[in-house]
Amino acid sequence: MKVPLIIIGGGLSGLAAGIRCSRYCDNVLILEKHSRLGGLNSYYYRNKQLFETGLHAVTNFAEKKDKKAPLNRLLRQLRIKRDQLNICPQITSEIRFPETSLRFSNDFELLREQIHEKFPSICNNFDILLQKINKIDPFSPTPFISARKFLDETLQEPLLTDMLLCPLMYYGSSVENDMDLGQFVIMFAAIFKEGMFRPAGTIKDFIHTLSNLYTKQGGQIRKNCGVKQIIIQNNNITGVELDSGTIIECDHLLSTIGHHETLSLINDESETGSACSKRLGFIETIYQLPQKTSAHLPKNTTIIFYNNSSNFRYQKSSDYADYSSGVICFPQNFTGLKDVDSIEVRSTHLASYSKWKTISIDRENYLAQKKHVALNSSRTLEKLIGKFHHNTVYSDTFTPLTIERYTSKIEGAIYGSPSKVKDGHLGYNNLFLAGTDQGFLGIIGSMLSGVSIVNRHILPKL
Amino acid sequence: MTNEEIKDLILEIIEEIDDEAEFDDLNPDAPLRDQLDLDSMDFLDIVMELRKRHQLQIPEEDYPQLATLNSCVTYLSPLLKDV
Repeated sequence: MKVPLIIIGGGLSGLAAGIRCSRYCDNVLILEKHSRLGGLNSYYYRNKQLFETGLHAVTNFAEKKDKKAPLNRLLRQLRIKRDQLNICPQITSEIRFPETSLRFSNDFELLREQIHEKFPSICNNFDILLQKINKIDPFSPTPFISARKFLDETLQEPLLTDMLLCPLMYYGSSVENDMDLGQFVIMFAAIFKEGMFRPAGTIKDFIHTLSNLYTKQGGQIRKNCGVKQIIIQNNNITGVELDSGTIIECDHLLSTIGHHETLSLINDESETGSACSKRLGFIETIYQLPQKTSAHLPKNTTIIFYNNSSNFRYQKSSDYADYSSGVICFPQNFTGLKDVDSIEVRSTHLASYSKWKTISIDRENYLAQKKHVALNSSRTLEKLIGKFHHNTVYSDTFTPLTIERYTSKIEGAIYGSPSKVKDGHLGYNNLFLAGTDQGFLGIIGSMLSGVSIVNRHILPKL
Repeated sequence: MTNEEIKDLILEIIEEIDDEAEFDDLNPDAPLRDQLDLDSMDFLDIVMELRKRHQLQIPEEDYPQLATLNSCVTYLSPLLKDV
């Protein structure tokens, strides 16, 4: 069997790339290792209820009229009608530190006002920062420039540097305690200038919309279909060998599974070892509560990015979870969602992959530790939002191991490798990389990654 | 195809990319991209649609010749004369 294009990975970047290519070319093939599509943004069932994984909020909110906004550009490229998504904007979100807090929403003015109010002595510096950001082209290929250094120099207020970095890091930095300046500019626009929303439906509905469109255009998907190796001849990819031993030939190959994850399929593991050491692991807990017990919990806050330590850390944790900072998400607090009987509180913290890996040898200990972390995390959250844990009817915790198991990301590092391959080139003639390790993050970012890489490298040649 | 048909074809393709595109005040000699707020990704779609519908292979170095509605007609009319 031979196809013009194989896409490894049925996550959002793979599906977006597939939709683009299947529109103009027959027999595009997506190979997904797992039984479900979606990759980092997927879902599962417990107690006959659907729970989402990954999705807190979609960044890059834009009004319909703003044609150049990433969200609208993406929807045009995929020919998805905006109304089909039923966009529900965030209410407000918050960055909460011991010293002060900042609220922001999809109206950028709120953040500006908050900074003028809370940091009056340096508020002009914030305006200078905005001017500087406007002049930066985040897509020009440059070596790593420290966003932290840039912010410290411009703002002259380390606390504000930390507070601005906190949400941007938690929603997409694969680098410890810093970000690449280009990445910072992209994330600053995606979260603060544009804002956040979610579709009214579930992530399952969204994935279904994408996969439906793709298959309607003639695209094919094989699930439960892992790739054993990528076959190469003279720097050209000739096809892939599946776990089953079947060989499928192709003219072009797009991998969305990560840089080193891809290299490991080429038996080119020269870099894999060193790249692992700096990967950031996360732990996430869902607490499901009856709606009627939640009257005292925040109703107008969508996400809280918090830090409760005197020294904000965004770095590889040495423990099962680092409660000193994290993200609290209220998935029902978006404008326009229907009332439901049960609500969720979600917490995210940095976590040590190796700790979880070690303890997982003993299943009972591993499960006990998960429970322990869920309890400790809720105690930290309760200090910020009020009591809720005693009302929990169901809770589930995803460790870095859970994430690794279901997404095949090395060490469960959701934001992938600290180094990104911005041009999608992996050194082979007809193999390209899209998704997390190409450097576009979040749902809109990863889909734009799939779209832009195929537009640039593959579509014109198909 | 007549020149008018080629113009209609281009506008039809653009309308499919962006169903809210306004053609009323379109200047046929000014760049389509600026007037319609299209970006390079949208522009690629015009090329891809022409290939899909009429099997036209337009090399990348010729893309600038599709900049305005009239330049599209000039460039495409010999290629689409038998359609």
